[in-house]
Amino acid sequence: MPNYLLTRIGESLLAIWGVVTIVFVVTRVLGDPAVLLLPIGSPAAALAELRSQLGLDQPILTQYVHFLGQAVRGDFGNSYQYMRPAMSVVLERMPATLMLAGSAIIIGIVLGGIAGLLAAIKRNTFVEYIVMFLALIGQATPMFWLGIVMIMFFAVNLGWLPTGGYGSFSNLVLPAMTLGTFVAASVTRLFRSSILDVLREEHVRTARAKGLRPKTIYVWHIGRNALIPVVTMVAILTAELLGGSAVAETVFSWPGVGRLIVQSIETQDFPVVQAAVCLVTTIFVFINLLVDIGYSLLDPRIRSHGGGHE
Amino acid sequence: MKFHARPSSTSHLAMLRTAFAASVALVALSASAEAASLTIGLSSSVNSLDPAQAQVVQTDLSTISELYSSLVTRGPDMKLKGDLAESWAAVDDNTWSFKLKPGIKFPNGEALDAAAVKWNFDRVKSPDTKARNKLWFDPIKSIEVVSPTEIRFITDKPYPALPAQLSMFYLLAPKWTETHNPILEAMGTGPYDLVSATPGDRIVLKAKKDYYGAKPAYDDVTLRIIPEAAARMAAVEAKEVDLAFDIPVADVARLNKENGLAAGWIDSSRMMVLKINTLKAPLDKQAEVRQALNYAVDKKAIADAIYAGASTVSACQLVSPQYFGFNPDLKAYPYDPEKAKQLLKAAGVSGKLDVELEVPLGRYLAASDLAQIIGQQLSEVGINAKIHEMEFGAWAKKYAGGDLGNMALTGQAWPTLDADGLLSLYDSSNPTSYFKNADFDAALAKARSTTDVNARLEQYKIATKIMCEQAPDLFLFSQPTTYTHSKGVTWQARGDEWVRASDVTPAK
Repeated sequence: MPNYLLTRIGESLLAIWGVVTIVFVVTRVLGDPAVLLLPIGSPAAALAELRSQLGLDQPILTQYVHFLGQAVRGDFGNSYQYMRPAMSVVLERMPATLMLAGSAIIIGIVLGGIAGLLAAIKRNTFVEYIVMFLALIGQATPMFWLGIVMIMFFAVNLGWLPTGGYGSFSNLVLPAMTLGTFVAASVTRLFRSSILDVLREEHVRTARAKGLRPKTIYVWHIGRNALIPVVTMVAILTAELLGGSAVAETVFSWPGVGRLIVQSIETQDFPVVQAAVCLVTTIFVFINLLVDIGYSLLDPRIRSHGGGHE
Repeated sequence: MKFHARPSSTSHLAMLRTAFAASVALVALSASAEAASLTIGLSSSVNSLDPAQAQVVQTDLSTISELYSSLVTRGPDMKLKGDLAESWAAVDDNTWSFKLKPGIKFPNGEALDAAAVKWNFDRVKSPDTKARNKLWFDPIKSIEVVSPTEIRFITDKPYPALPAQLSMFYLLAPKWTETHNPILEAMGTGPYDLVSATPGDRIVLKAKKDYYGAKPAYDDVTLRIIPEAAARMAAVEAKEVDLAFDIPVADVARLNKENGLAAGWIDSSRMMVLKINTLKAPLDKQAEVRQALNYAVDKKAIADAIYAGASTVSACQLVSPQYFGFNPDLKAYPYDPEKAKQLLKAAGVSGKLDVELEVPLGRYLAASDLAQIIGQQLSEVGINAKIHEMEFGAWAKKYAGGDLGNMALTGQAWPTLDADGLLSLYDSSNPTSYFKNADFDAALAKARSTTDVNARLEQYKIATKIMCEQAPDLFLFSQPTTYTHSKGVTWQARGDEWVRASDVTPAK
């Protein structure tokens, strides 16, 4: 077990390093932030001066070594746009992202769990068709479009909720519902098929044969087993959502990390892009690591085989 | 809709009735509160409140202008007027004198006098400040405090646009700045105080009780950052936002028909052009070839199609009428494909002429569509424009690096609204001019050698005429600034991107 853990942690660090390095290289190849930061018509000397201030006149390898040295200490330098530490610019957007991701996941699990279970129990009935049809639509609908429709209906026509913004509970409802719909759709589909898989297994037949009440069978014999793949997917979705949902955040003017990343890429604010990507990758990898460790605790076979198929 | 009553044991009907009564009460409450509060929707975020770092007029500079004073300011009529300055005049060609209003104090008691102005100027010039907009103030050599209410700016050579440039020079309190971070905090002498700033979401302002100037109509002002255009429109339709900018031109007519809303457009100070690299073959040698490009494109029809008519065609110059130095004698090249073909033939171009057309994305309104339709029209006179779409940052790097393609779709503006700055983009000493014309350079230099208004106008007439004939641009049209607002407010529309609460008043 300790060996397995160490390997997985090592792999995780490698993954973070890889992503951060790719981002570092790509941002530097793409453009020259000095051109965007100074007024148009700035003389070459002014541009050169700013580049040297930002350290962009150094050879890329020197910049990279310097960057790595800082990054391991959590220091990503000052944001070019905001002119204060990049990490603090990212962290101040984190609560908004956490709140939205958390709400969307809860909505998704509750709604998707109920719908998935319903679809599985009412197999081959009208109920299943309706639920699965809605789930398909929920998953296939572009989030941008759904968001705009929600705004038009609930905020503009009915006037129940604000169109966007941040600060109070009412601001959270529409973006959380929009993102939650997407999560719920995925959960519904996976949970249903997972239940149907478990239904065919022998221990369920045995339980039935023993004459256990259907409710007991569904909760203890089917539900628990069918949840495992759902938990995995929810964990990965959570990790993704914690990286911010740029689309939902933009549509609902939600000041989260996803929108910050997009905006920082546009303005070539390298320090913010790097800090945000580093943070988001770390969260993603960490959650994956937790899932893997969770598995290995649940299933001793994974420990010895190092995570492969059984 | 911040709170709801939650009756637990009442029937549905009773609940509805309670909710209805409550919402009527809420509406009544908010209606009375609305008279004094204003919410403005901006399309991009305010990044820094430090006057030395601010360059973007619509966001950073506009917000700063609510919080701090400047010597002079530009009103919605595009005229400069005094803010802290009572009057100003050129003492001689290289000296400007500004008389300040006496007795203006910051909220912490610091005096905003000539010494404080000098301190601010030195701060911007100091390398330690790393001011991003230092360039704007480069022509000013030194500043001299004559008395607490008089200050002089001394330049190396005449700098007639100095008052206009100073309309973007906002004044911090020296002592306060020592112990505070002006990027995030604010304490100024402007009409409003900063209540709160939530990055990426909103900035809340409160009117100062003892402001020295005209009291603004609204006590409470909220600037909301709404990046998505559809959401911005929805916020105005839902009456959350009173005034919003950058809405799709195609929606202007629809919004105008809606109950209680008004929408419109005004020419911005940004002129859309295809900038031509006159130093690169095949568009380098003969001006006739570049003129042919200008004849080949139906500017009006394109503006009508892409901007829904919300734009004015360029009068064969970069300068639009709102700038100082506009040349009223010039007329746009008419749409005349036959003439274009003749010119090309006379210039010895046979067969198809291959040129690159670079299109930076994400910066200009409908850039992609504009490029497609222009390319189509050019092909009709035998010019084959190969369109290269690229991300704005990548394009800006090429442009600044002297690597511009044959043509690039771009919009050009200068924040002082003075031909001096705008035309300097084509001065051959500018690394991004892509244009070398000695007569043009000489006219600019002459205009800059005097502060005499008429003499300057004369030189800009010469310079713009040269540009029209030499055609280092395919002159298109002004990029429109679009806006929508509730009929509860009146906004004095302006095309120079300043967004100020003081330009908004409750509708009568």
